[in-house]
Amino acid sequence: MEISIRRLSKSYYSEGKTIVALASVDLNIPSDRIFTLLGPSGCGKTTLLRCIVGLEMPDAGEIAIGDKVVFSAEKGIYVPPEKRELGMVFQTYAIWPHMNVFDNVAYPLQTRNEPKEEIRRKVERTLHFVQLDGFENRPATKLSGGQQQRVALARALVAEPKVILFDEPLSNLDAKLREETRKELRSFLRELKITAVYVTHDRIEALSLSDTVAVMKSGRIVEVGTPWEIYFDSDRRFVADFIGRANFVEGKVAKGGEPHTMIDSVIGAIACEKKIGASLGKAVTVCIRPEFIRVLKGDQADGCNIFRGRVESLVFVGDAFEGEIRVNEIPLIFRIEPTTTVREGEEIALHLDPHHCSILLS
Amino acid sequence: MPKTRTALTPGLIIIVGFLTVCPVFMLILGSFSEGLSSFGSFTLSKYVKGYIDPAFADILANTLIFTVGSAIVASVLALFLAYLNTRTNIPFKFLFRIISLIPMMVPHILFAVSWVLLLNPSNGMINLFLRQLFGLEGAALSIYSLKGMILVEGLLDLPIAYLVIAPAMSAFDVSLEESSKVCGASNLRTLFRVTLPVLRPAILAAITLVIVRSLASFAVPSVIGMPGRIYVLATHIYRIVATGYATDYGLAAAVGMSALAASITLILLYRHLTRQGEKYVTVSSRGYRPTVIDLKGAKYPLFGIVALLSFILIVLPVLVLFYTSVVPYSMVPSEKAFAMMSWKHWIAVFKDPISLLSLKNSLYLGVGGATLGIILSFFVAYVIVKVRTAASGFLESLSFLSFSFPGIVVGIGFMWFFVQTPLYGTIWALLIGYIATYLPYGIRPLTSAFVQIHSNLEESSRVCGGGSLYTMRRIVIPLLIPGIVSGWILMATMFVRELSLSVVLSRPGTEVLAVQILRFAEDGLWGRLSALGIIMIFISTTLVIIASQIGVKLTKVDK
Repeated sequence: MEISIRRLSKSYYSEGKTIVALASVDLNIPSDRIFTLLGPSGCGKTTLLRCIVGLEMPDAGEIAIGDKVVFSAEKGIYVPPEKRELGMVFQTYAIWPHMNVFDNVAYPLQTRNEPKEEIRRKVERTLHFVQLDGFENRPATKLSGGQQQRVALARALVAEPKVILFDEPLSNLDAKLREETRKELRSFLRELKITAVYVTHDRIEALSLSDTVAVMKSGRIVEVGTPWEIYFDSDRRFVADFIGRANFVEGKVAKGGEPHTMIDSVIGAIACEKKIGASLGKAVTVCIRPEFIRVLKGDQADGCNIFRGRVESLVFVGDAFEGEIRVNEIPLIFRIEPTTTVREGEEIALHLDPHHCSILLS
Repeated sequence: MPKTRTALTPGLIIIVGFLTVCPVFMLILGSFSEGLSSFGSFTLSKYVKGYIDPAFADILANTLIFTVGSAIVASVLALFLAYLNTRTNIPFKFLFRIISLIPMMVPHILFAVSWVLLLNPSNGMINLFLRQLFGLEGAALSIYSLKGMILVEGLLDLPIAYLVIAPAMSAFDVSLEESSKVCGASNLRTLFRVTLPVLRPAILAAITLVIVRSLASFAVPSVIGMPGRIYVLATHIYRIVATGYATDYGLAAAVGMSALAASITLILLYRHLTRQGEKYVTVSSRGYRPTVIDLKGAKYPLFGIVALLSFILIVLPVLVLFYTSVVPYSMVPSEKAFAMMSWKHWIAVFKDPISLLSLKNSLYLGVGGATLGIILSFFVAYVIVKVRTAASGFLESLSFLSFSFPGIVVGIGFMWFFVQTPLYGTIWALLIGYIATYLPYGIRPLTSAFVQIHSNLEESSRVCGGGSLYTMRRIVIPLLIPGIVSGWILMATMFVRELSLSVVLSRPGTEVLAVQILRFAEDGLWGRLSALGIIMIFISTTLVIIASQIGVKLTKVDK
C-alpha cells in the first residue's frame, strides 16, 4: 500500500525552545517496497515514522495510507494507531515481559477478537516464518536479543498488515548479531509483499536493506533515491558525506561536455563524471571515495587524472590498508588492498577514475 | 485523556498538600497557641518554657549521642555486610536479603522489648543467668542506658543503612580498585584509599538517613530509655502530652518544631548526598560481574558473624517473646521453667477487651489504610512518572517531604488539627495520620514500577490494535502489580505496627496494637505483652503472605 505525506510539520516545545522536528515534509512511499529513512540523530526520521503510525500528532499536513486519509490537520482527521492496522517493530522491541512468546505474538489477533483456533494457526505460521517454531511457551524475557527481535517482527506481521514500520530495530544488537539479523530481515522482507518503512542512522543498514533511501536532515527530506544513486550520484555534500567516507575537493568548472567535465581544483585539473547543471565557472565540490583512489608505484604513470603525493600515514585494518596521501598540501584518505608494497613516507602517483569523481553542486 | 490529566495533577497536589502541609502548619500555629482549647491566641510563652527548661540541654545531648551513635553502629555494620555480600565469596548470600527485609517482620517495639527481657537489670534473662552462674549481687549488665539504646536502635536501623549502601557497593566500578592494585597497593590499602572514598556519598547518605530515623524513633527511647530515665526529644515530647497532670500540646508543638526542623534539614542533606552519589556511580552497561575477593580461611569465621547477626535480628526476638509468653514470670530457661509453662498469658490477652479492640483496629487500619494509601500512591506515582510537568515535580517534592517527619511530631500537628474537627478520637484520625506519614513508602515502589513500563510497551499495544482501555487492562496494570503488591505490603505492615504517631492520636476506643504493647510494657505485664506481640508478628506475616499470593495470582491470570 502506498503512503503519501503532504506538507507534514511538527514542532516540540522544550525548556522554552521550539524544536522543529518536521518542516513541511512531502514524501511518497511506494507500495510493496522497502523504504528507508536515513539521517543523523535528531533529524526527525523517528518523528516522521511515529506520525505515520499515529503515535505523534503532527501540527499540520496530511497523511494517507492507501486511499485512506489517516491524518489531516485541515479536515480534522486523526485515526488513532489502533485503527490504522499497521505493524511496527520498536527500537526496544517492546516485548511484553509478563507474557510468553505465544501471547506476545497473538496479541494483535486477540484485540481483533479472532476465533481461538484461527489465532493458534496464524501464530504458529508466523513463528515458523521467523524461525521460532516451538518457542510458544517460552517467557518472552528468557530470549536472546536476536530472538526478541524476531518475536517483535512476528507480532508486527501476524495480522498481515499492508504496511510494516521499523524504528531502528537493529541498534540494540551487538555488531556481529546485527549483521546476521540484517541479512535475515532482508530475506524475510523480500519474501513478503509488504510496504516496509525503515528508520535508521546506520548507512550500511540503509544501503543493504532498502529499495529506496530517503536522507533526512533537520526535519527535511534532502534526497530520495536507490542506494546506488545515493552512494554514487548524490547532488549534495551532506548526503555524500553521511552515506560513506569520502574526500571532498573544492574547485571550479573549467570545461563542460564530453566525455568528462573538467574541474580546476587545488590539487590540479580533475576529469569528472559529467553532471547536468555544472555550468562553466560554477564553484563545485568533487567527491572521491577512498576505495577509488588507485595508487601507482614509481613514476611510470602518465596521463589524465594522475596526481603525485606523499603517503603520510598507512594503517593496517585487516581487510585493507587505510591511509592519507598529501597532494598539494591537501590530505586525501585512501584505501588499498592489504598486499600492497606501498609504505609510509613514500612518494607515489595516484590515479582517479573519472567515473568515480562525482561533482556535488551543493 | 489530556483533560483528565490536567484535573488530576492539581487534585493530587491538594490532597497530598493537605496531608503533608496540614500537620506542619498546625504544629506551627499550635506552638504559638496557649492550649488546645484556646487555639489561635498568639503567645511565645511555649517556646520560652520549652527551651529555657534546664533539662532541655541534657535532652538535646542525649538525642545527639543516641542518633549519631545509632547511625554509626548501623552504617558500620551495613558497610561490613554489603562488602561481604557484593565483593567476597562468603557462603549463603541469601541471608543478606533476609537481613534487609526483617523490618517488615519484627516490629521495632517488640525488638526493643525482647532486649529488655534479656538485659534489664532486675530480671533480664541474661542477668539472671549470670547471677546464677557467678553468684553476683545485682545486675551485671543493664540495657537501660544510652549504650543499650544505641545498640538496639543501631541494629534496628541496620537494614535501612544496608539498603542505601549495598546498591552503591554493587554499582561500583571494580576497575578503579584493580588499577589501584596494579599500582602496587594491597587489598587493605585499596579498601581505605579507593573503595571507601568513592563510596563516601553513599555512606554519608546512610548515616544521615539513620539519624533521621532514630530521631523519629519512639520504640527504643520509650521502652529502653524511659525506664532508665534517659530522655531524648521524642520521649520528651511524649512526656509532655501523655504523662503528668497537665498535658501541654502547645509546649509539645514548640519542642517538636526543633525536631521537625532538624529532620527536614537532614533529609535535604540526604537528597543532596544521593544526587552526588549518582555522579560517582560508574556502572558499565556490559553487565560486568565484579571480581570476587576470596576470603580463604576467614570465610567461615566471617560467615559466623553474619549468621550471629541474623540470629540476633530475626530469631532471638521471636524466641524470647514466645518463651516469655508461656512462662509465668521472668526466669532462665530450665527444667523448672518448662514445667511451669502454660497458656495463661495468652488466655488473659484473649479475655482482655482492650487488647481485642486494638487487634481489630490495627487490622482494620492495616488493610483499609494500606488499600487507600496505595490507591493514592498509584495516582501520585502516575503523575510523577508519566505526566512530567513542573506541577508533577512539585508533587514529587511534596510527597517526599513527609518522609522526614518524626511520627510523634506529626501526631502533635494532627492533634491540633483533629481537635477542631469531629474526626477527633475516631479511627479516621489515625487513618489520615498514617497515610500522611507513610505515603512515600507507597509511592516509592509504584514510581519505580511505572518507570519500568517503557512507553514503547504501551505504544506497541496501541499499534497492535489495542485501544487505551484494552492497553491499560492487558499491559499497564499487569506490569504494575508487583509494585502495587510490594507497596501495599510495606504500608500494611507499617500500619499494623505503627507506634509513634498512634501514641499521640490514639484515644480510648481507638487503641492500636503497638500502643497496647507499650501500655503492657509500662505496667510490666511482660507475659501478656509477649503473647500480643507474637499475635502482631503473626498478623504482619499473614498479610505479607496473602498479599504476595494475590500478586502471583493476578500476574498469572491474564488471558
